[in-house]
Order: sequence, then structure tokens, then C-alpha cells
Amino acid sequence: MNKRETILMKGADAIGEAAVRAGCSCYFGYPITPQNEIPEYMSRRMDEVGRVFLQGESEIASINMVLGAAAAGVRAMTSSSSPGISLKQEGLSFLAAMELPAVIININRGGPGLGNIAPSQGDYYQATRGGGHGDYRMPVYAPATIQELYDFTMESFDVADIYRTPVMILGDGMMGQLVEPIIVHEREEIDLPPKDYILNGAQERPSRIIKSLILDTREMEEHNWKLKRKYDLMRTLLPRYEEFMTDDAKLVIIAYGTAARIAKGAVKRVRSNGLKVGLFRPITVWPFPDEAVLSLTKKSKVFLVFEMSTGQMVDDVRLAVSGRVDCEFYGRPGGIIPSPQEISRIIERYWMQKEL
Amino acid sequence: MDRFSVFTSRLVEKSENFTSGHRACQGCAEALAVRLVLKALGRDTIVAMATGCMEIISSPLPLTAWKVPWIHNAFENPAAVISGCESGMKALMRKGRVPKKKINFVGMGGDGATADIGMGPLSGALERGHDMVYVCYDNEAYMNTGIQRSSSTPYGASTTTSPAGTVSFGQQTEKKNLTQIAVAHNIPYVATACPSFPFDLLEKVKKAAALPGPAYIHILSVCPTGWRIQTEDAIKFGRLAVDSCIFPLYEVTHGKYNLNYRPYKKIPVEEYLKGQGRFRHLTDEEISHIQTTVDRDYQKILKRCEED
Repeated sequence: MNKRETILMKGADAIGEAAVRAGCSCYFGYPITPQNEIPEYMSRRMDEVGRVFLQGESEIASINMVLGAAAAGVRAMTSSSSPGISLKQEGLSFLAAMELPAVIININRGGPGLGNIAPSQGDYYQATRGGGHGDYRMPVYAPATIQELYDFTMESFDVADIYRTPVMILGDGMMGQLVEPIIVHEREEIDLPPKDYILNGAQERPSRIIKSLILDTREMEEHNWKLKRKYDLMRTLLPRYEEFMTDDAKLVIIAYGTAARIAKGAVKRVRSNGLKVGLFRPITVWPFPDEAVLSLTKKSKVFLVFEMSTGQMVDDVRLAVSGRVDCEFYGRPGGIIPSPQEISRIIERYWMQKEL
Repeated sequence: MDRFSVFTSRLVEKSENFTSGHRACQGCAEALAVRLVLKALGRDTIVAMATGCMEIISSPLPLTAWKVPWIHNAFENPAAVISGCESGMKALMRKGRVPKKKINFVGMGGDGATADIGMGPLSGALERGHDMVYVCYDNEAYMNTGIQRSSSTPYGASTTTSPAGTVSFGQQTEKKNLTQIAVAHNIPYVATACPSFPFDLLEKVKKAAALPGPAYIHILSVCPTGWRIQTEDAIKFGRLAVDSCIFPLYEVTHGKYNLNYRPYKKIPVEEYLKGQGRFRHLTDEEISHIQTTVDRDYQKILKRCEED
């Protein structure tokens, strides 16, 4: 492939290609629908570029292979879908505690339990609240187009290296299977901190230790505060969002990922009827763009949160607005993908109810 | 298998506990294997089944192909869940809440669930000595998710995550010998079976259920979709696998080996490999390598059978 070109690509393949171009040296996978195309793409592509593709014997094995590769100092990635991500939580907690960089792809499907294989956004809590045990956070990107899926996968390797943290890409079954034209490009070189923690042989230097077992309570407390300072830094630097027609909006619909695509269509629909409605789309769901949501309350008095779940991000929105505006919720869990028509009807209903 | 037993299709149990109308692919020998296993077990059976082809095709609620109590669980857990069922029923029987009777506790999983992710729980269940039967339906890859390699995929097979091409010849590693792993647990009964040999399979399942303590049955389940063969050839390839000794039919009862089927004429492994799309890229060199490993493994089994 050329350095920069527009091609038609499936979401799963875009993730794989972005990882390869971001310098991912090791990919560790395990089959689970609907993300099988990622390991399938990587099994071909990684061989072509002479890097490592390995299929673990379980999700737990795959995430811990990532941990090992990160400790050895290379860029590593794993991917799975909801039930598999649940199995990976122990590894994520260890990665966060050991401050090792890694990229984890979650192609969210219906749940809880085995659920189904349709697109869902039920893993929001698990992704943004840590998921695993212990006091940690993890940057989570929620792309809404295949281009973003490509860009954020590439970028997340840098974010992981800069902050020494696992980073998650939160897609869903639709993002993984969707085919769209995208611009594939090489990674922009940026200054990264030196990898002065990796274990690559201590012949010419003092030995290093990567561990998460800290029995001394004072030392553990200090480690927790150190992580907290890092998370605070992420909270100020990382939040990203997109605003669509919010300048004069009386009602703002807030949605991320696939739901935001649908909401955008609905906004365009109701705009043609003269309703002043806008869309706010968090791109990072952790750190959540609190301040941007808060500043929206100056312009709009009604927020409508739309998710493909029974309501998880709505909590973050309510925390951000702290009661300043009405915060309504509409959800379709279980793998249902509502149409823009359906969402525009919901918008119109609230428009009438609130007498906007 | 008793030497003087008579096998005729008329004497086989007529009732079906795994009914037709499920959604398996055409020519699925795994569905056939499940049907035969359930025939042998009868109605007094509780099945715990891992996620996989057989779970997906047989239980699209509100429909079900199962006429026995059946519990579905996550990929790694059939052995653990059936351990719990057995312990729970034991407690209920002791307390007199349910009448005492012989119930077959059966864990079922594919090769991914058994050889890969569920290896630990299976080993635990065999070691704890629950009165259960574990049946592994081995179709030699993760067929349900779209033919990804498992540790039970044979050397040289092309799958979607071990694709054959200019760089690779497919699966690089040898098939994990699950039967021998089960034998190493010193459990009362371990056997290999194939639905192409239905009477043998039925007898083995009956024996496994009758013997107290854990039993393990490894069933080679031909998968036309994943093996890239004609749907009508599923039974034929099961026979070829046994006749070429790539999958010998044997049982180990209390540590005693017994070869159940000795091919009249051992056919070259090439005859088994050549009709399958997943092996079609193999060169003569690789085929002869496979022949060597097959001969080596078969001799080992033969030697053990002769010793006992």
C-alpha cells in the first residue's frame, strides 16, 4: 500500500492496518464474534511485515502476553469483544498497576452474559470505571467512523507510551463490520518519553523492577497517589469531543460511537423541520469531556442522552451538569440499532413536552 | 467393548434426545455425534455445554433440540459447571429432597473449549473425581467463530488465523493430544471415538456413564464447512481418519489400553489429507512429515495396547 491513499476498508481491517503502521510489533488475539476479522487480518498482515501474531489459548493468556511484550519494551495490542474483555480485566488492572503501555480493542456486543453478537454500548461502565479491581483509570476512545477507528487506534499507541497506561478503543459490532472509504496514512513521528523502564537485560545498567505487589501500605498509598496524579494530567489533556450544530441549539442530544452516527442523522432531520437541535459527541469517554458539557448548559436548557444501553453515560452527563439543566435519557439496549427516524421522533417528543 | 457383543442397528435405542430441526450445517458430523451420545446416555442426563457450534445451533430460544436438562455456560466452564451440578445433586439426594437414582452428569465442549480455554477447569474436574463424563467434540478449529486455529488443529491445516500462503504453510504446531492428557489424570475411563463408527461410539459412552468416577471421551467430529470438503463426505473422512491411523480408536479403562479398531489395511495419510481443502497446499515433503508423526504416535498406542 502507498503511504497515503483513500481505500475502502472494513472496521476490523482498519484497526489492524492502523496498528501495523503505528509500529505494533506483537498482536495477541483470541477468537470471539464480532471481532474475528481483527485476528484474521493480523495473522496475514503481521507475517507480511515480519512481526508477531499469536493466538493465545484464552483471553487471559492474550492480555498477559501483551503484558509480557510491553515489559520487554515493544508496542503490543490485543482485541476482543465484551465477554472476552471481562476475562481480560485482571490483566488490565495489572497493566495499570505496573504502568505498562498497551492497546486493547473492545468490539462491544450485547450482554450481560453471553448476550448476542449485535452492536451494543453496554460496556461503558466497565470501560470507563476501570473494570478490573483496584484504584485505576484507563483512557477510552469511542470512534464513530472507520476513519476515526483508524486514527485513534494509531494515536492510542502514542497515548499509551506517553502515559504508560493501557488504552482502550471502545467500538461495537457495527464499527467492526462497517465498510467505509478511509484515508490510510503513516504515523506522524512525535517525541515520546524514553522507555527507561523496560526489561531488556541489565548488563550495562542497574537492574530494574516492574511489579504490582506493594505490601508496604505507605508505599502502596504513594503509588496510588502517583497514579492519581497521572490520571489528573490525562483528565486535563486528553478529553476530546465533537459538537454538531450546537451554537443555537435549545436541545442537545449527547451520544457516542454508533449511537452518535444515528443521532447526527436525526439532528439533520429535525433541523429541516426548523427545530434547533444540536449533537454533542464525546470522543474520549474517559476522561469524559466534563467542562465542554458544562459550558453547553449556558446555551441549551435540555439535554437528551441517547445510548444503545439502559443508561450508563447518562450518569457522567448528569455529574457534569450537576443539576443545571434537564437531562433526559433514551436507550435501546440488546443490540437494537434504532433508525434516525426513531431518534428524531424522540427529539420531537421532548421538544413538545419541554415547550421549546 | 466386549468381544462377543452383537451390534445391529435394530437394537439401537430408538428415542431421540437431541432432536432434528436444529441449525447445524449440512453434513455436520458433530451434530451426529451429539445425537449418538444422547442416545447412549438416555433421559436421566444433565448436560453442561460450553459456547460453540453445538450450543448456537441447538438452542435458539424459544426453540431447543435438547430433551434433557441442559445448561449453557461460558466458554471455559463446562467441566466446572457440571462439577457443581454433580455436587449439588449429591447434596440434594443426601438430604432426601430428590429421590436417589443414577443420573449421568455430562460436560460437553468443542476442541477450543476443551484444549484451549477450558483446559484448567477440565483438569480440575478430572482430578477431583466427580462422577461425570466429559465429551470433547473435536472439529479441529474454532468453527463457530469462523475457522480460527485451536491447539487441536492438526499440523499443516490452513485456518483463518493460520492461513497458508507464501510465508506460511498453515498450522505450525502439532495437534495437542488431549486424550493422553486425560489418561495422565489416572481416571477410570478415557476413550477416543468417531461418529463414523456409531456402535463403537455408543458403547463407549455407555461404558463411560456406567463406570463411577470421571470419564473423558474425545470424539473426532468432521466439519465439512471448516475442513473444506463436500457435505456428503463427512462420514467418509471420519473413516479415513481412523483407517489412516491419524485418529486411532482406543480406550483406556483403569489404565489398561485397548485398541477397538485395527484397520484391515492401514492406508497412507495422504488419502485422508488430499480431499480436504484445508490441506490442499501441502507439499509431498510436509505430507511425509505428517506420515512420520502419525506412524510414531500410532506405534506408541499399539505398543501400549500390546503391553496391557
